[in-house]
Amino acid sequence: MSSVLEVEGVAKYFGGVRALDGVSLKVPEKGLVGLIGPNGSGKTTLFNVVTGFYVPDKGEILFRESRDLVRIDGLNPNEVFRRGIVRTFQIPRLFNSLTVLENLLVTPLGQRGESPARALFRSSWSKQEMELARKAVELLKMFGMLHYAHSKVSELSVAHIKMLETIRGLMTPAKLYLLDEPAAGVDYSMARKLFTYVKRLRDELGLTFFIIEHRLEILMEFVDYVYVLHNGKLLSEGKPQEVVSDPKVVEAYIGA
Amino acid sequence: MIDLIGFAISWLTLFGIYAILSLTLNLESGTAGITNFGKVVFYGVGAYVAATITTYMTLILNGVDVGETPPYDVRGIVLLGELGSRNPLLNVGLLVLSVVVAFAAAGALGYILSYPIIRVGPAFVGFTLLSFGELLRVFLQHYEPVGGNKGLMAIPTPFGWVADSRLREVAYLGLVMGTLAVTYIVTYRLVNSPLGRTLRAVRDDEIAALCLGKHVPRIKATTLFIGSGFAGVAGVLLAYYLTSVNPNMFVPAVTFNVWAMIILGGFGNLKGSLIGAAVVTFVDRALTFVTPQLGVTLISPDYLRWVIVGLLIVVVLMVSPRGILPEEPIKTPALDIVSDELGGESE
Amino acid sequence: MVPGMQQVVLNTVQYALFYLVFSIPLTLSYRTTKVMNFAHANFITYGAYTAIFLHGVLGLNTMSIAAVAAFLVAGSMAVLSNLLVFAPLQRRGSSLSIVMIASMGLWIVYKYLLYIVTDIAHHYTAKNFVSYGRITYVDIPRIVVGGAELSQALVAGLAVASITIASLYVILEKTKIGRAMRAVADNPVLAEVSGIPRALVANLTWFICGGIVGVGGVVWTSFSGATTPEAGDSMILQVFTVGFIGGLVSLLRTGIGAVLIATIENMGIALLNTYLNVPVSFKPFLTFTTLIATLILFPPLGAGGGLPYRFLRRGSRR
Repeated sequence: MSSVLEVEGVAKYFGGVRALDGVSLKVPEKGLVGLIGPNGSGKTTLFNVVTGFYVPDKGEILFRESRDLVRIDGLNPNEVFRRGIVRTFQIPRLFNSLTVLENLLVTPLGQRGESPARALFRSSWSKQEMELARKAVELLKMFGMLHYAHSKVSELSVAHIKMLETIRGLMTPAKLYLLDEPAAGVDYSMARKLFTYVKRLRDELGLTFFIIEHRLEILMEFVDYVYVLHNGKLLSEGKPQEVVSDPKVVEAYIGA
Repeated sequence: MIDLIGFAISWLTLFGIYAILSLTLNLESGTAGITNFGKVVFYGVGAYVAATITTYMTLILNGVDVGETPPYDVRGIVLLGELGSRNPLLNVGLLVLSVVVAFAAAGALGYILSYPIIRVGPAFVGFTLLSFGELLRVFLQHYEPVGGNKGLMAIPTPFGWVADSRLREVAYLGLVMGTLAVTYIVTYRLVNSPLGRTLRAVRDDEIAALCLGKHVPRIKATTLFIGSGFAGVAGVLLAYYLTSVNPNMFVPAVTFNVWAMIILGGFGNLKGSLIGAAVVTFVDRALTFVTPQLGVTLISPDYLRWVIVGLLIVVVLMVSPRGILPEEPIKTPALDIVSDELGGESE
Repeated sequence: MVPGMQQVVLNTVQYALFYLVFSIPLTLSYRTTKVMNFAHANFITYGAYTAIFLHGVLGLNTMSIAAVAAFLVAGSMAVLSNLLVFAPLQRRGSSLSIVMIASMGLWIVYKYLLYIVTDIAHHYTAKNFVSYGRITYVDIPRIVVGGAELSQALVAGLAVASITIASLYVILEKTKIGRAMRAVADNPVLAEVSGIPRALVANLTWFICGGIVGVGGVVWTSFSGATTPEAGDSMILQVFTVGFIGGLVSLLRTGIGAVLIATIENMGIALLNTYLNVPVSFKPFLTFTTLIATLILFPPLGAGGGLPYRFLRRGSRR
């Protein structure tokens, strides 16, 4: 199975802190891969490096955009997004003055109405807009949030804000999705619903997911493979059952 | 006796010009979040473009040697006064040329200036644009060909060939209102589109917008291009209205005049910008008309006007920071799709 | 070499002293209160005008008295601005931009109010307060260096700058209140939780910063041949650029920035003037270029900046 994402010997230092200290891993195509580890182990930093938020101090990030692997480390975040990697934030970064609907509609790529010249002529983009709106409505309905469509973000509960952050990421078709703790703060049934949808996207559309999660009871049910980070290094990897019973992993979590 | 019609025409013309500035500032700062404290720069560039093109071309096309009799020279000024009212085609043609060049020049300047300030916060953005304005003023004060500190005068107006002065004023008001209408339609369409949505996203969290694929630097540059271009056109209208330009007309306080308008009217609300412009220009005109009538000579209306503008900014921000009208959701066909769904949902 | 080199060097030193006295309080007030205050320019002007009105109306030409008065006036002005505008807005959770815009409103109000007052004073005393000439003070010692007598402004500037730096050092390093100011600057929430009275510290900071800048304004009256209600504005580009060089955080870097900008401006314009006939009033262009360079090369983070966008990047095929 070919890989969609390859991280090779990536290191990232902040002053004296080694946030990432030589991490190498591969995410297979159509994989549903988990990334776990105690707090401060470097999981979000890894996502930040992969998506161009940071430039790695050492190592390379390779992404299979179409047929070949391409180096993407050093690209700007907007370019990484355009190449087909979508990332959600652990602490949601929603657009506070936009409504829930507008937050969903702002994400997709290639909207004709975003160019100033075409924005002036409604007919050139209204059809595309309506299609996107239909997709947004579908997603909102699936997670029971349709009646919030016109609400401001400030009116939502913590759980709904988190859901919106994740759903917003899923609005746009991409090759690889990096989800940062999608279940945090969300109730169990909603979290299962989310992961079931993610699995369906993988099964039906062949999309790949790399997911950071703390709620192991949900994560382990859905992923095929897990990587464990600890102190910026890869501690363990393998199928969920293997990793969970690995004594090194247990010790890392208890000690942290 | 107070000339009510004269007052109304004067106020509405000034309102029209300032409303253009106010709409564009609301696009840049109110919608896209680019704290533009340098609005007056693009206004001034447009005014000077119109003044320079019109005075020089009027002289040149009438066979005058501008090397010998430049438009800022006393003889040049007298000539301009005579030549300005002879040829309607020339006057209108120069208007069109000025508008095009002013839009391009002011727009390009806005585009270029957006790049050094890409990565820094709103305070630095505002400050850099503010300082650039002052630099431009210093430059103009020393640049002989545009009259240096005295500027250019006796600028032939587009309707200079119209005999009756009141008719000329009304025609000009029509021109200003027409330009305002175009500006409003353009800004309205830009804001109520996916672009408008993206601009607000950039304003709310530009880092998140960047991570979601938006090319933030290019978006800001394009927004400043459009906003500055139209500000340049407003400058053209000002130059013809006052028939003279000089560097001291374009001080930072003018930018804050416009800020007061969008703060009063409401960030992100275009109708609010119109209301804000109407109120502030009305107060301004009223002060200028009324104070001589009352015989108040001790306090100069010029200074008082600025004190009022400053107070307006502070008071509105303290009392009602959203201004008169709140920001509205973006009106695109997406709203119809959603209301169909919501209407169809059974409770 | 450039003719009049000696004068250029003296000017450089003079301006460096001014920028030190004006910019260090800007950095200090920003980092403690997080308010980007554009009315800062008015503190300079009102300090200068305290001396001017004392001189023009009461005939006072003792700088020490004028300095104390100016400190009180400008300091109170700063505290008042905070109590009436900045603090209420911050309490309400307004963004830094809103507070900054409000400070610009204040800037305009203060400036044009002063114009009105000077206009009226001009009317009633027949003295031109709108553009006031250089004041010669009686209590400034005459210092002769290498056969030439130093100007009053230079001597006063040296005194004020050294006193400012020394006192700020003592206050910030050795006193309880200074440590409180630093704590609030580094971590306001933690400081509050540890029992530090944030509001009091903020007001005190404003008082000190406004006051110092006001005293600088008094020195300005002994330097400038024509002080106007826009005196502070004429230096605002330089003062803020110096602050930005210090990242609005480091007082030491602000000090270095002051010397740097004064040198670039005065030496630079002297060279350009001599060899390329650039008018001296084009000085600000040099500072603006330095500002742009600073923003591009060392963008001051904080104050809501820091877009992770790099103009030079790589992305190559394997």
